[in-house]
Amino acid sequence: MQADYLLYYLPNKIKLIFIPTKKFKTFSIGLFLHQELNQDLAALNALLPAVLEQGSRLYPDKLTLQRKLENLYGADLAADILKSGERHIQAFIYESAHDKYLGENGTLLQEGMSVLGSVVGDPLLEDDGFKEDYVNQEKIQLKKDIKALLNNKAAYAYERCMALMCLDEKFGTYKLGRIEDYDRIDAKKLYRYYREIFSENPLDIYVVGDLQEQQVLQLAGEAFNFVRKTDPKSLPRVDIELPVKEVQFHEEEMAVNQANMVLGFRTYTGYGDERYCSLLVYNGILGAFPHSKMFVKVREEAGLAYHVHSRLERHKGLMFISAGINYNCYRQARDIIDRQLDDMIAGKISDTELDNTKRGLVNRLSSQQDSPTQLISFHLDGTIGGKTYTAGELIEGIETVSRKEIKAVAEKIKLDTVYLLRPREGGS
Amino acid sequence: MKDNYKVIENRELQEKLYHYRFYPGLDLYILPKPGYQKKYAVFSTRFGSIDNRFRMKSEQEVTELPDGVAHFLEHKLFEDQYGNAFDRFAALGASSNAFTSFTQTSYLFSCTANFEQSLNHLLDFVQDPYFTEKTVKKEQGIIAQEIKMYEDHPHWRVFFNLLAGLYRKHPVRNDIAGTLESISRIGPDLLYSCYNTFYHPSNMALFIVGDLVPEQVSRQVAENLNGRNYQPLEEIVRIFPQEPAAINCERKVQELVVSEPIIFVGFKDTVVENLQGRDLMRREILMELILEILFGSSEKLYNELYGENLIDENFGADYTAEINYGYAMIGGETRDPDQLYERIMKAVAKIKKSGVNTEQFERHRRKVLGNYIRRFNSLEFIANNFLAYRFRDNDLFELPAILQEIRRCEAVNVIEENLDPTRHAVSLVVPSG
Repeated sequence: MQADYLLYYLPNKIKLIFIPTKKFKTFSIGLFLHQELNQDLAALNALLPAVLEQGSRLYPDKLTLQRKLENLYGADLAADILKSGERHIQAFIYESAHDKYLGENGTLLQEGMSVLGSVVGDPLLEDDGFKEDYVNQEKIQLKKDIKALLNNKAAYAYERCMALMCLDEKFGTYKLGRIEDYDRIDAKKLYRYYREIFSENPLDIYVVGDLQEQQVLQLAGEAFNFVRKTDPKSLPRVDIELPVKEVQFHEEEMAVNQANMVLGFRTYTGYGDERYCSLLVYNGILGAFPHSKMFVKVREEAGLAYHVHSRLERHKGLMFISAGINYNCYRQARDIIDRQLDDMIAGKISDTELDNTKRGLVNRLSSQQDSPTQLISFHLDGTIGGKTYTAGELIEGIETVSRKEIKAVAEKIKLDTVYLLRPREGGS
Repeated sequence: MKDNYKVIENRELQEKLYHYRFYPGLDLYILPKPGYQKKYAVFSTRFGSIDNRFRMKSEQEVTELPDGVAHFLEHKLFEDQYGNAFDRFAALGASSNAFTSFTQTSYLFSCTANFEQSLNHLLDFVQDPYFTEKTVKKEQGIIAQEIKMYEDHPHWRVFFNLLAGLYRKHPVRNDIAGTLESISRIGPDLLYSCYNTFYHPSNMALFIVGDLVPEQVSRQVAENLNGRNYQPLEEIVRIFPQEPAAINCERKVQELVVSEPIIFVGFKDTVVENLQGRDLMRREILMELILEILFGSSEKLYNELYGENLIDENFGADYTAEINYGYAMIGGETRDPDQLYERIMKAVAKIKKSGVNTEQFERHRRKVLGNYIRRFNSLEFIANNFLAYRFRDNDLFELPAILQEIRRCEAVNVIEENLDPTRHAVSLVVPSG
């Protein structure tokens, strides 16, 4: 069973997806603006939501905006930039407690739509550009954020592996872009870019909660009434076919206690691919669960790691295996991991591993229906991947994956890049 | 077994909580959540990293534990003579995990099918310890990697360095997982002895939430407990050192690979140890309001600091109140920790003179209420927090009522007591090299 959704187009052709449900204490409104991922646009895309969030014409600074949100019972407005496959998506998510738990008389949706509409559609301007102070301030903050990736060693290692592996592809772009690109952006340029993409690029709005359909449509139409081109620009398809010529090995030294290893693979299987469910099962058996080969062999049997897992970048068809280990155990850990990969190709998969993985994946999918943001992400994946599954279809797909299909997926998977963050020699 | 339960109703949330008490003292809470596919259960014991000295009431002998035992026990309980508890959950399609905090250890699962079997498995594996020299030895390697991971984690380090600065003796100053040295002193006998003390049902509680029928679930739990031959447990006396009011060390600095310095300023709370039950919770809510009024993103100071690039969006303040310790903590990443420190201390001094105005107080009160309601979307939030509150004799469901009761005039006194500059410490992580 899954929550039904309703699809509409607002008068300006914005796609609106309404998911009516009574089970949450909240209602949520999510607005997603799609752009292609590439180095030249990355800094602009990252900067835009950060600047818009600083204030609008009606709520001209963060203080005023935050106080407005607090008076709306601490409603949350989060502006963010997402990287998914070769798309770069600006996300604005508003979440509010529902009126019925507050003795309010049903005005919170209208207030929420109007605040969100104001932030994305009616920004604070000066001299044909955004407010310069905000742009400069957010440029500094984002440059800091780029450098701060270093602070989380496992996340840093993961991003480094991705960047090195996809150096010549759009996907190698970091979601916050490059530091030097921010120096070439000013308030006027950013505003021109804003006008362009809010008018041309695909834009979806999601509304989730116990709300009246007519009211949702009417309020969304009023709040998001900016002028749009009739046909949104179509974005290039993600490229998942790049062959591996030779396995790359990168090592980086740092004053750390633990080594972090990340292995990057190309699966040549995308989200819309008919083998997609087989890939999910493959990755599940290999490393997505505590019953998976990685966890059992590397952690439970050999005691080499605390965190070890594999994960998919499902829209780009990539897979990454990560582990935090002692540097002197690198070879031992690699050997164990390589053996598991060989076993996957050889079809050495027990019935238990197969069944448990399918059940685990079904459990994850069903659980997504219980969170408004996960419900939205699930639909969004369909838009990004160019293929809309219902949860039921994916569940059925997973349950019917055969050993032969897993083997077929396994045979296509190629190791591309090994990245190792290691403690400095002579250090601890 | 005769059902012995009461129903607690919360009007604001429109939720009904069923509370059962079973021999020999297990509390079971069930919250039905119609429409949810997921079911979530958490089984917790009041045994955390700070419970490192104790005796049974009738006995003289005090047991002293090396640091990290509660956490080690959490890891090891997942293994029994047949294998790994994770695997059985996996076979049922359930997702399981566990965590250890300063004050409790919790075992949990969530599932969308096979709930009854999963619940039985949770109850069984937590009530069935199995430790051997060999399995303990292997776990030392895994936990060593976990400790090393945290050693490289700057926000974790700045947090524990601050606690070590605030506290001279209280075990909250020690890492939850212990140290490489302390875990090497943990063996099967020690684990069994701690298990037999702290994993008795009277020291535990179970919270289950999802689209469930309380009578059925409670019957299942009762049946699982029956026939386990529990004897009543006498009182566990937890022994904490006499912690002086003064802090331990004003300033701790550690070098790590970070992009910018990180600073946390902490204020040691010496009042909270005299508070209990509702008073403790009232103090916590008030302090959280005060910290938001001082440092929140809707207030002047935050916006000035942000505009001067002294803080980023992650800057914030937090208050912790437990039965015998408490602290307020403020900070984040900054280009100039000295300046940020000055501004934080100035703001604390200023609010003591100027107090809190009505508009601020009411606005933040609305925000706390709305946030509280929003969090009730999450089954994990409800269950985990309910038990954490329950272990310090508080009721999560009382928050809206207490929130309405607190008065602005109480703030002055609380600020004076809890944000005392003579009891503050600073922890810094600075870029190495």
